[in-house]
Amino acid sequence: MAKSADVILRVDRVSKRFGETWALRDVSLDVYRGELLVLLGPSGSGKSTLLRIIAGLETATSGRLYMDGVDITDLPPYKRDTSMVFQHLALFPHMTVYENVAYGLKIRGVPKEEIDRRVDEVLSLVRIRELRDRKVTKLSGGQQQRVAIARSLILRPKILLLDEPLGALDLKLRKELHIELKRLHEEVGNTWIFVTHDQEEALTLADRIGVMNEGRLIQVGEKWDVYDYPKTRFVAEFIGETNMFTVSIDDISGGVATGSWKGFRVSFKDGGFRPGETIYLSVRPENLHISKEPPRGEEYNVFHGVVDVEVFRGSYVIYHIRLDNGEVIRVTVLSKDAEFDPGDRVYVYWRFDKGVPLRE
Amino acid sequence: MRRPTGESLQRLRIFLSNLPASAYIFIMFYVSIGILIAISFTVPRKYIVEWSFTLENYVRIFTDPRFLSPILNTFLIVTVATILLIIVGFPIAYYLARVNPNLGIKLIFFLIIPVEVNYLIRVYAWRNILGENGFLNSLLLSLGVIDKPLTFLFYSWFAVVIVLIHEWLPYVVIPFYVNLVGIPRQLYEAAMDLGANRWQIFRSITLPLVKPAVLTVLFIVFIPSLGEFAIPSLVGGESGIMLGVLIDRYLSDFRLAFGAALSFILLLVTMGLSILMIKIFGYEALYQR
Repeated sequence: MAKSADVILRVDRVSKRFGETWALRDVSLDVYRGELLVLLGPSGSGKSTLLRIIAGLETATSGRLYMDGVDITDLPPYKRDTSMVFQHLALFPHMTVYENVAYGLKIRGVPKEEIDRRVDEVLSLVRIRELRDRKVTKLSGGQQQRVAIARSLILRPKILLLDEPLGALDLKLRKELHIELKRLHEEVGNTWIFVTHDQEEALTLADRIGVMNEGRLIQVGEKWDVYDYPKTRFVAEFIGETNMFTVSIDDISGGVATGSWKGFRVSFKDGGFRPGETIYLSVRPENLHISKEPPRGEEYNVFHGVVDVEVFRGSYVIYHIRLDNGEVIRVTVLSKDAEFDPGDRVYVYWRFDKGVPLRE
Repeated sequence: MRRPTGESLQRLRIFLSNLPASAYIFIMFYVSIGILIAISFTVPRKYIVEWSFTLENYVRIFTDPRFLSPILNTFLIVTVATILLIIVGFPIAYYLARVNPNLGIKLIFFLIIPVEVNYLIRVYAWRNILGENGFLNSLLLSLGVIDKPLTFLFYSWFAVVIVLIHEWLPYVVIPFYVNLVGIPRQLYEAAMDLGANRWQIFRSITLPLVKPAVLTVLFIVFIPSLGEFAIPSLVGGESGIMLGVLIDRYLSDFRLAFGAALSFILLLVTMGLSILMIKIFGYEALYQR
């Protein structure tokens, strides 16, 4: 992907206030042409507000928006080259699939023959061509979903905005639609911004993820980076599972910081810390190992404890280990290597560079 | 074959427990209407019903302009009043649905208060406004707009329409209000996002979606108004005569066969119109947005 050169949308220090509360605080974000960016955050984090500001359905209290370098901050929704797929889809209940999908073109006065052609084209794209003349209220959730997307895509928007569009569907259907949406995004090739509070959905769909909390955009990046190198405790805990240790540093030497966590010694990469500082260390369960014998080598942090609970998840197993200091941590092991039973005394260890130290 | 016994016992129990209510409805409603219909086919005699069969009453009603014109008048008055009610009521409902909900509810309260005022008091209030020595005439006279009182304002067609509108306005505003409030805001946003301006949104989203309210209004305002007799007899005079007034006149004059025939015609007409409306709008409109 050609990066900085190809910014399709620039969000520049946008804030939004509703009465006394700030829904967005100073959010800046570059969206790249052709990418699928997922905005992820808990409810009330401001992600939907940001999307609605991009769509023009809300106005920013301060800050500017630029699309392809042009300032679009003050343009009404219908003059923006964006189209929104709403949380509850907002299909027009008194219209058929055809009428819903054709709506945008009809409003623009496009000739009937062209509308027909483009409706057929877009319905084929989302694979519901045979439902063309059905009433939308008679469709299943998944089918309605496709109509909503077709209704937006037919306008060939530069940016497609999706506001938790799968929220109302059951898990199995959602997972099917995730794959379908990925395919659709590749086929259409335009830019998508997708809002969700579901981290699994975010990881499945995204090229890049932007994590939001309390009106701030905390971290944006490739999904691998955000997962492996979270910037804050919130990001580490919100995306995927993690074990969080509060460590007070007492020694820094040779790029390695060492400190103590409730009686255990822990080392990790130095991130410009000072002795005496307290940091949070995030270690993903899949980066932890268990064995009955202590590991060999200097590069490991080693804890000792007893297997407390074993949670079988099919392809993998989660062990809850009660450490000698009384704390419980979680370790993921592939099922084929899961040879431990509750009550076993084990060593839990990880390479010190797998721990991510976080200041906040 | 064990289950049918249990089932038929169950059916019997349901039948028996429903019997009193069904019998009541049957006697008080269907039998009465049956008697009414039967009377309408008897020879017109004053004070008594002489059992016989004749179409004389109906033939007279449909050939004599003295009967036909009140029937047509009824339709005209009620149609005009309903159209005006929608024209007046819809914008009020639209406004109420748009202002903040707290204010909206308070304003609806003000709309309902007059309904609680006694019917006759309201009618007399209108006489004070529209009558020959009423407020409106006095005002226009003192301003010099007219030099003698306007007589078409009261005891007239005009007065019936005005009072009907006053009477029914809340019953028009509230269905429209409920309907409009029930349209999700996202639909408007979606339409706007797809490129529609305010007017296009109103035409393509709002109007088609208030069909249920229109149907409700036709059912609870238009059809019952066809049988209205109090308002036209109190404020209608001769030009504002309606079918209900005519029926009342014949019945209180003990010309039962004639009154019954007129009543049956009214019944058929309202039934026919109800069926027609459902045919046009579809049953769906009654419960579906």
